[in-house]
Amino acid sequence: MQYLALIYGEEGRWAELSQEERESEMSEYMALSQESATVGGNELDSVATATTVRVRGDETLVTDGPFAELKEALGGYYVFECSSIDQACALAARIPAARHGAVEVRPVYVDGGEPS
Amino acid sequence: MKYAALLTTNADDVAAWERMTPEEAAAARAEEVPKWEALFAELGPTGALGSGYELDSPTTGRTVRVRDGETIVTDGPFAETKEQVGGLMEIEAEDLDAAIAIAARIPVVHRAAVELRPVIEH
Repeated sequence: MQYLALIYGEEGRWAELSQEERESEMSEYMALSQESATVGGNELDSVATATTVRVRGDETLVTDGPFAELKEALGGYYVFECSSIDQACALAARIPAARHGAVEVRPVYVDGGEPS
Repeated sequence: MKYAALLTTNADDVAAWERMTPEEAAAARAEEVPKWEALFAELGPTGALGSGYELDSPTTGRTVRVRDGETIVTDGPFAETKEQVGGLMEIEAEDLDAAIAIAARIPVVHRAAVELRPVIEH
């Protein structure tokens, strides 16, 4: 079954890392991207570029910024294909942002009422 | 441009959903399905819709942190906010305005919100 791993971290942190630290973290992300369990994922542009859309009645309301203001921002995600949530959490623990921020692991809903 | 559309659900809807019997939940889903089918019928052929992931309720999630080499896993979502991520769709649109027009067609946009985030292409 599939799990979405939402990656949260402090946005300013990356700019403060040395070149060496960045390369080291980047290689960890690349290694995770190449895992056979990784079936999707993206890095997102900063929260400053977020646009939130709501429709109420016939009116489309567009606001700048994310739907929720958090200290740690959503910076990207992976999609893992795993046999259990424990396995997905083990992969999530390898995401560098887990060491300073947090990774939320969410089962992808499978129609029929129960995750497959 | 590629955008990630974060589909939110609000806490009241999630709570209502969790109180439903399986029959009620199935009926509620049946009501939603035609709206989604209409969206895919219209936008599918344009190539605007990429992978999509509908998520199980936030309470089924776990949050993973690693501190000093130790993995700490807690039940539930990362943030206790009124709106929670309920799904994610990857969309392809010429610009932000085109992405907004697509977001405004996603069924959850009437009850909650859709947050658009540009994807960084590597």
